[in-house]
Amino acid sequence: MATLLQSIVSGVLTGSLYAMIAVGLTIVFGVMRIINMAHGEMVMLGMFGAYWGYTLWKLDPFVSVLLWVPLMFVFGASVHRMLLRKIIPSGELNTLLYTAGLSLLIANVALFFWTGDYRTINLAYALTPARPFGISISLPLAIAFAIAILVTTALYLFLSRTDTGRAIRATAQNPDSAALMGVNVVRIDTITFALGTALAGAAGVLLAPSLYLYPTVGEILVVKCFVIVVLGGLGSVPGAIAGGVLLGLVESLGAVYVSVAYKDTIGFVLFLLVLLFRPAGLFGVGRS
Amino acid sequence: MNRVLAAIGVAFLLVVPFVTRNPFYQHLLIMVLFWTLLGIAWNLLGGFAGQVSFGHAAFLGVGAYTTMLLYLKLGWSPWLGLILGGVVGALVALPIGFICFRLRGPYFSLATLAVAEIIRLVALNWETLTAGPTGLLITQLPALNWFGRPVNWESKLPFYYIAVALALFAMGTTWFVSRSRLGAYLLAIREDMDSAEAAGIDTTRTKVAALAISAFIAGLAGGFYGLYFRYIDPDAVFSISMSVEMVFIAVVGGIATTAGPIVGAVFLVTISEFFRERFQVGHLIFYGVLMMIVIRYMPDGIWGRLRRWLLGATTQS
Repeated sequence: MATLLQSIVSGVLTGSLYAMIAVGLTIVFGVMRIINMAHGEMVMLGMFGAYWGYTLWKLDPFVSVLLWVPLMFVFGASVHRMLLRKIIPSGELNTLLYTAGLSLLIANVALFFWTGDYRTINLAYALTPARPFGISISLPLAIAFAIAILVTTALYLFLSRTDTGRAIRATAQNPDSAALMGVNVVRIDTITFALGTALAGAAGVLLAPSLYLYPTVGEILVVKCFVIVVLGGLGSVPGAIAGGVLLGLVESLGAVYVSVAYKDTIGFVLFLLVLLFRPAGLFGVGRS
Repeated sequence: MNRVLAAIGVAFLLVVPFVTRNPFYQHLLIMVLFWTLLGIAWNLLGGFAGQVSFGHAAFLGVGAYTTMLLYLKLGWSPWLGLILGGVVGALVALPIGFICFRLRGPYFSLATLAVAEIIRLVALNWETLTAGPTGLLITQLPALNWFGRPVNWESKLPFYYIAVALALFAMGTTWFVSRSRLGAYLLAIREDMDSAEAAGIDTTRTKVAALAISAFIAGLAGGFYGLYFRYIDPDAVFSISMSVEMVFIAVVGGIATTAGPIVGAVFLVTISEFFRERFQVGHLIFYGVLMMIVIRYMPDGIWGRLRRWLLGATTQS
């Protein structure tokens, strides 16, 4: 019983951070119809931001997140303005290959400057986990979970209550009609891409104390992200949140009750089945 | 024009080992040919049929494991094993094709990525067959006589000529496919899948056929990889980066052309191997940069641009 509870708790905690990365990927897909292969590298940049903030200036990652999120927003906006904007009209596959190029470029520039060494951030308060009701909860992961919930709620309110949020949703539904209603679609595209990048960066900063970080970590994360957004339905924000938590649970329960070796396989098999039989996602809310 | 270029190319490939005895350059040539082979394999499906696969490492890995296991466990000749590696690669491609080709465009790409990852995880964990993360090691290759003289497997030259033979075979296959009915069907599918279907083409069967040929070549390349390096493990041959790099070779060289992959491999592999010699890490920076430049400024790749320029020059004269 304690094992079950323990794996559910750690599954939900990790899953919430997966969800945050996946929300970034899914809003970009929803608005621009592009699958951003470089999304994982944005997470990696956030992780390294947290690492350098901690190593050079003794900044706690949960404080330096306030610095890195706006920077990642600006970075995302410039990537869209200077690189992606010209490519997107040439088709989905070209954009996919282009972002794959961007992903390899960012990861290898990072490898070049920071080498492939595995690094960790050792926070003093990470050593003793909290133990409510006999289950152990890592403190950095719990704080990250709380911040992830705050950020995701803020994003949800932004998308549903503000004018810019409504414009983003309108563009996701139909770019041409949105443009006819006076929405500046190019500006919305840039904002959305910047927002997606900022979310990925924020998730990276929050994950940094709990994971090993190395320049090619994005490769694994982006693949997990694809699994999540397909599970939840491509383009759907609530779907991505549910999918993220679901994948976190599948991984932690799979590791305990199936096998540690095959826990990642379960996610991929689920992914293939959903892609083939429920292309709109488990909840039927995405676009196929 | 094309025949002259092809003849010059083949002559160059056969003569080049007499020019240099430097093992680094010999290794470089072998790597260029190995990646050409993979680029050609990917191009048959990704270039001609427009089906972007991010999972071709699956076929490479299956081929490599077939060749190595047949030799290590059953003692079969690795040269027979090399060909069987291709055959098993093609056989594995059939079910994968029938599953993944239900999906289109980027969804197909994501599905192939997932399939390759599943196969990698199985190879990593099925330790009784694959030895898991420990990998498989060949300590000695069987003695072989070539025109009465024993082949020296410690030298790189025999591997170079095997790679040349494989690459020529693969280029011949591409050329043949591009002129056949299958090639025409594939182009029709790339341009518009629904119209192709309406015109009476069985699109799934056509795509699976192209995938099987493509997987055969990737399997051959895998067998060659195993014999040349004499060591394989799941993270080397099944990795996502293997799948991704061969996409780059084909796209940068020139999508849907016979010579594109070799041009792409010459450019990318040469730059990255020199970079690796000098700086050890980050040698794929140029893969990323060239991919972005090619997609933005020359959609038919370096060879496509070069060929147009050459043809333009000959028509003017």
